[in-house]
Amino acid sequence: MSAEDLPKKEANVLKGHEGAVLTARFNRDGNYCLSGGKDRTIRLWNPHRGIHIKTYKSHGREVRDVHVTSDNSKICSCGGDRQVFYWDVSTGRVIRKFRGHDSEVNAVKFNEYASVVVSAGYDRSLRAWDCRSHSTEPIQIIDTFLDSVMSVCLTKTEIIAGSVDGTVRTFDIRMGRELSDDLGQPVNCISLSNDGNCVLASCLDSTLRLLDRTTGELLQEYKGHTCKSFKMDCCLTNNDAHVIGGSEDGRVFFWDLVDASVVSSFRAHSSVVTSVSYHPKDNCMITASVDGSVRVWKA
Amino acid sequence: MESDEDDFVFVGTPIEREEDTISRKKKSIAEASGQLRTLAPWKQEVRDEEGRRRFHGAFSGGFSAGYFNTVGSKEGWTPQTFTSSRKNRAEIKQQDLSNFLDDDEKAELEGNSLGTSMQFDTFGFTAADIARKQSEKEQNERPSAIPGPAPDELVVPATDPIGVRLMLKMGWRRGQSVKSSKSTHYDARREARKAFLAFAGPEDAEVEDAMETSAELPADNINQLQKSTPVYVLNPKQDMHGLGYDPFKGAPEFRDNKRSHQPGNRESGHKRVPPKKDSLFSFKSRNVAPGFGIGALEELDAEDEDVYASGYDFEAFVEEVEEPSRLAIEDKKQSSSKQHGVLPGFKAASNSDYQLERFDPPVVPNDFAPHHKFPATLEVNQKSTEVPPPEVPSPVDNNLKVLIDGVATLVARCGTLFEELSREKNQSNPLFDFLNGGDGHDYYERKLWEARQKHGDKTKPLLKEKVAPSAQKMTAETRGNILGEKPLNRTEKDLKPVVPSTDNVNLQFHLSDTFTEPASFVEPTEIAKPFQHEPAKQERFEQYLKEKYRGGLRTIDAGGSSKMSEAARARERLEFDAAAEAIKQGKWGKESQLSGQQILGASAGLGLQFTSGGSEACIIINGVSQAEEVITKSMFPKREEFQWRPVPILCKRFDLIDPYMGKPPPPPRSRSKLDSLIFMPDYIKAATEEKNTISSPQVDGKKRTNVMDVEDKVEDENVEVENVERPVDLYKAIFSDDSDDEEENSNINQQEEPVKKVEAANTTLSRLMADDLLESLGKELGLEVPPDQPYKQPQQPQETHKPTVQDIPQKHEPTTNSAAHKSVSIQTTKESNNEIMKKETKVKRDNNSSDDEKSRRRSKRDYDSTSDSSDGYRDRHRSSRHKERKKEHRKHSKHRHHESSSRSRHSADKEYRDSKREKKKRRD
Repeated sequence: MSAEDLPKKEANVLKGHEGAVLTARFNRDGNYCLSGGKDRTIRLWNPHRGIHIKTYKSHGREVRDVHVTSDNSKICSCGGDRQVFYWDVSTGRVIRKFRGHDSEVNAVKFNEYASVVVSAGYDRSLRAWDCRSHSTEPIQIIDTFLDSVMSVCLTKTEIIAGSVDGTVRTFDIRMGRELSDDLGQPVNCISLSNDGNCVLASCLDSTLRLLDRTTGELLQEYKGHTCKSFKMDCCLTNNDAHVIGGSEDGRVFFWDLVDASVVSSFRAHSSVVTSVSYHPKDNCMITASVDGSVRVWKA
Repeated sequence: MESDEDDFVFVGTPIEREEDTISRKKKSIAEASGQLRTLAPWKQEVRDEEGRRRFHGAFSGGFSAGYFNTVGSKEGWTPQTFTSSRKNRAEIKQQDLSNFLDDDEKAELEGNSLGTSMQFDTFGFTAADIARKQSEKEQNERPSAIPGPAPDELVVPATDPIGVRLMLKMGWRRGQSVKSSKSTHYDARREARKAFLAFAGPEDAEVEDAMETSAELPADNINQLQKSTPVYVLNPKQDMHGLGYDPFKGAPEFRDNKRSHQPGNRESGHKRVPPKKDSLFSFKSRNVAPGFGIGALEELDAEDEDVYASGYDFEAFVEEVEEPSRLAIEDKKQSSSKQHGVLPGFKAASNSDYQLERFDPPVVPNDFAPHHKFPATLEVNQKSTEVPPPEVPSPVDNNLKVLIDGVATLVARCGTLFEELSREKNQSNPLFDFLNGGDGHDYYERKLWEARQKHGDKTKPLLKEKVAPSAQKMTAETRGNILGEKPLNRTEKDLKPVVPSTDNVNLQFHLSDTFTEPASFVEPTEIAKPFQHEPAKQERFEQYLKEKYRGGLRTIDAGGSSKMSEAARARERLEFDAAAEAIKQGKWGKESQLSGQQILGASAGLGLQFTSGGSEACIIINGVSQAEEVITKSMFPKREEFQWRPVPILCKRFDLIDPYMGKPPPPPRSRSKLDSLIFMPDYIKAATEEKNTISSPQVDGKKRTNVMDVEDKVEDENVEVENVERPVDLYKAIFSDDSDDEEENSNINQQEEPVKKVEAANTTLSRLMADDLLESLGKELGLEVPPDQPYKQPQQPQETHKPTVQDIPQKHEPTTNSAAHKSVSIQTTKESNNEIMKKETKVKRDNNSSDDEKSRRRSKRDYDSTSDSSDGYRDRHRSSRHKERKKEHRKHSKHRHHESSSRSRHSADKEYRDSKREKKKRRD
């Protein structure tokens, strides 16, 4: 994919959130997207047609992260109210609320089979919740982190999480081991490459770092944007050719994956770009911002 | 139920329920207010305050009429009895008019002061009246400083009249005249909008406010007109003018100005001053996320602050980003602030007479080098900047040559002080004439110069093969020597550009000389000191560089001192590699784009080591920082590996096989040692206390939870299992009177004669402790931990225990391989031994303690639980199971040991890590 194909044209603006939008995520096939924000709602959109489909209200505080299962039937979300919500998509009801985090929950993800929700909290812990049983107790608590856990990613066999203590920790369930990669800088967000070999970590020194997962080697650093004080997402394009990151000045940056040069950057929002999510197949991207809008970008 | 009621005997009169009377009263009031007005007069009924009908017709009423309306008692009218005795004198009553009046008559009498009820007191006159009366009454009661009635003006009604309240509710404000309903409506709407804007957030409000002002100028005029009725606001007198003096009488413009300085005084007149932050809806004037608030019952705390809006605009945008819209706003702000200083009615003068005198900062001379020079080394500098003395043939006398060479080297190394010193010392010595300009002085000069050149060069880490071969002659010890006197070498860096005759050392630097300013010439090799903070490491680094560039075989302890561990050495070597590469790159970069500034910066950065207060900005350009950056890069990311045990259910949910399935529970990190401590007697604890002071508070907590889980976790194969032992053991000791147990005990008794002796001494003690034991037992039943082995007194000597204790495990676990057992570290044996020892002592103490005590205990147990027999059975069962588990535990401990040995390679790191984790945990 050449730089011309990067999604830089605004296709739609999804407006509806009152106040900052903190997260925006495509679903598995990229036909829909979910967003959550400071207005305590989760909204389901069709980003391609710019339609607001549904609003999920139950959170008592801001929604910080949301994830949807691959079969689009369930949503998990988390936020400032220290709980992880497990929703039914069609009815819009909360099926379960997982309580246990001592503090705000920063990130949440389903596993491959949508049977476990893993949440990362400000209380320096990762917690795994069982969706199959009726228990609302976490089935496992990982508390080896030294500071707030900002982001979590799951593979089929691993739990990967980035923390403000500067580490990206990989918990390999199959091997029963924990790999800790210390980056020396607070990790804001982590994102897996689509081939699963690399992990992209957004650090609070305004640098994105690409790590090789098998060796823990630092492959590349991406600079140019501003990321110093907010929880902001980063991601890779669906062909792993470019790295995308938002900036605190409302810009969105595209880097070449290999030579780390800024391929493109443009002003997407008037304020902090909190979240970026890339379409799993097409050249399409959604960005969310503190300015209250979610924007859809296409090539 | 019925029988219950039969049992009751009612004594006394039942208290009349208050609710009944109250409800009746309410009803009457409601009726009085409702009915009286709506019904025709002839249909209205008069009722008393209790709601009972009072007047009856001639043929209605009956008993009730007679009873209630005439005498008010069952007995009919009875005269008051007059009693007076010697003790109890009837008091002579002061008769009064009121004594002869009925209630309604009294009310009528009161009614001669007619007033409006509060409900209809539109203008507040009645309230004022009442207040006045009240004050009069008070006045009568207590004399005040000012005699006579209070003046009317001072007495104000306490409540707002209903009319005012109504109007306030409709949107009227004090000070406004009552106008047409249209304008008040408009006003209310405006108020509402303002509130909404305040709600929406300060920024927007500002913008919209500005819009409003421009759009609403005529409306404002109306407003001005509306404010016709004056409002007397009693402002505290804060100035020092006389009473009633208005300093702004002739110049009202100034009043505005003054008012704007006093934030509190914007009450009247200036309604348009927008109350920005502390408006109704902005919570506590903090930065709350716009658009929505939090619930009424929730506390507003840090989480609700709008982090995204807080001051970000000023931090980052202004500095870094050129955003047109932002800038426009900035401009506007600036212009407004410019206007701000000017009084209304004045304008800023275009040229002012008053010229602010400005003092220019002193001009920095061009040759100023921004670093500190130490006076002692100044001389060296001067000397070294001299034109090199011409080459002189060495003196014929070989001894003299050697001497001169030596002295020159020493002087170069130690400074001119050494020269002076030796000159003084050897004044009479003809051999040292060369110092005073005698024989061989020229040669000495030349040698000294050379030595100094060499001395300056020798810290150069020989980046290129070209670099002076002479420098390679340096040995490690000279280098160490040099490093000891860093300041000396450092100051040599600003060598004046000299034209050295033949010294090929400086040859390549002359190339750069042509590009740079003379004053700031720097030896680039000086930069290559990435490990300035650690001289030893720096030394090794130089050694490494030397070897690297010389090539060939490496010396034995290459890349690190022999003291270092293999891992540390390897790490250091990597670091050195990175640093060397960085230096090379940095140098290369420098040569390719030699800008004078860069080198200046570099020199400043070098000077920083000595000045320490220098500009840090320079460091960024500096090669050193580059090297450091690369080093940090090479240090991060740092990978560490730990064991981590996923919960079986998690594995199941992830559709994976549990890697620890069937394996013994892993030793929890950093807990293994602590757990053993739990059951250690005091003396061992004391011994290990120094090591584990940090973790000791945690032990109790952990132990408690473990013990608390005893009941339901017995079935589980868990880490805690080993801790379960104690209570189970206790039960066993107390309740099981199995034959096998007895046998075991007897066996032990035979085996442990010395222990028994000691124990015999302690029998009395244990008897005394029996009560305590009971107590602790009770606590355990209540799932609480007894105090930590208080009966393990220092009376039990260590020596007597140790041999016996070591026998026991073998006795108990015949299956345990003794060899393997011996291989277990002392720590583990100790812990396990102690556990067992404790158990044995417990058992023994129980044996020793009399039967009645046992039975007493059992009876207590009976009291606690209903079924004794089943309990006993369970205990027995448990004890046998417990034995198995103990074996298992032993295996675990072995396993643990192996593991620890395998881990020992990283032990240093790991322990550090563990302790860190431990600390963290403790924090939690």
